[in-house]
Amino acid sequence: MKIEMISFGKIAEFISNQKIEVDGIADTDAFKQYLEDRFPALKGIKYKLALNKNIVQQNTEITNQATIAIMPPFSGG
Amino acid sequence: MSAERYNRQIILKGFGEEAQQKLLRAKILVIGIGGLGCPALQYLAAAGIGHIGIVDDDTISLSNLHRQILFTTADIGKLKVEVAAKRLQEMNTQIGIIRHPIRLQKNNILDILSRYDYILDGTDNFESRYLINDACALLNKPLIFAAVSGFEGQLAIFNTPDHLAASTNYRDLFPIPPEKGEVTNCAENGVLGVLPGILGTMAAAETIKLIAGIGKPLTNKILSYNLLTQEQYTINISHGGGYILPKTVDEFLNMDYQDTSEGPQGYIEIDASELVKLQQLESIILIDVREKHEVPILDKQIFTQVPMSEFGAFMNKEFYQKHVVLICQHGIRSVAAAEAMQEKYGDAKKIYSLKGGIVKWRDHFLKP
Repeated sequence: MKIEMISFGKIAEFISNQKIEVDGIADTDAFKQYLEDRFPALKGIKYKLALNKNIVQQNTEITNQATIAIMPPFSGG
Repeated sequence: MSAERYNRQIILKGFGEEAQQKLLRAKILVIGIGGLGCPALQYLAAAGIGHIGIVDDDTISLSNLHRQILFTTADIGKLKVEVAAKRLQEMNTQIGIIRHPIRLQKNNILDILSRYDYILDGTDNFESRYLINDACALLNKPLIFAAVSGFEGQLAIFNTPDHLAASTNYRDLFPIPPEKGEVTNCAENGVLGVLPGILGTMAAAETIKLIAGIGKPLTNKILSYNLLTQEQYTINISHGGGYILPKTVDEFLNMDYQDTSEGPQGYIEIDASELVKLQQLESIILIDVREKHEVPILDKQIFTQVPMSEFGAFMNKEFYQKHVVLICQHGIRSVAAAEAMQEKYGDAKKIYSLKGGIVKWRDHFLKP
């Protein structure tokens, strides 16, 4: 299954925008686990996922060719 | 109203006299007269928003000027609210500018916000952003949210229902604030002046669209903007739940917004003149908690370097000095360090944090 990852802010410093080919990631919970295993720096910070441009509020099925955005909060002004 | 002043937007197809009247009747509060607030205010005032409230308790410093374009070199040291109000009033004599030279806190924010129809958040810290979000949700006030980090920005409109869904708020994105130090505000505070300029201007545009009822404002959406690539990415926000949002004034007043200026905190926030006095004491240690690569580099004979990344290890050791002053770039990390010290030592040591940090008191640190 192909997933496109888009990251923002501080997260983009250690997760670059990329297309990944993975198997066994059926939903956003599994994807989160995958992300935090592969990028341990993510564990310590707050972030939100968006699946195909919709904020993920509960575990959601991921289908092939999905785009997932990983977004941290910004506070600067 | 002078129609001539607004002629170029009134004759715009899809805007017109009616939209202009809506702007003139609107009351908007802009919180934070910084990199975001300055450009937003200039366009809101120029466009003819009838009543504009401005909130900021800070004074203008030299390092503000590269992005806070309402201010000039001669304004350094003056209260932002006063200078901004004067300049905006000169720009547009037909509107009302209301000054609020205060820091919004739990006990005053509801009173101030209730006098306005729209709130624009241009602050620079999470404590204020959650305070403002919750107050807007409680009072049902549309909130235009703009924030920057590095070369990127975020823009959203909260507490405004659209034709598709009920209104959302900031906690639907990020239910609780990051821990102090989790997002290293102080160290990463570098910003190219034009970035908040763009985001602040976009926030003004969203405000005008919302008031005039034109186009598709970013209601229930968050836009991410990247200055380096000129790319934008818009995400739909839905209701998340699972967070605490105060539903009554009492609940609101009982929330913890980590506002260090409220109530007893143990450690003391000081300014540069108090620092000079403290430096006369015998049993004092001055600790610079910035990382080693950060500039300006301070005299290591006077300031002990303990970067936040090594602070935990330092806290395990004992030291004899009775007075401890913590210093960082903007006075944010030093507060986190002061809290940790206060927790460990209680009344055994006197803990101080330099409010505003080295940037605020640059002259003090760089004098020969």
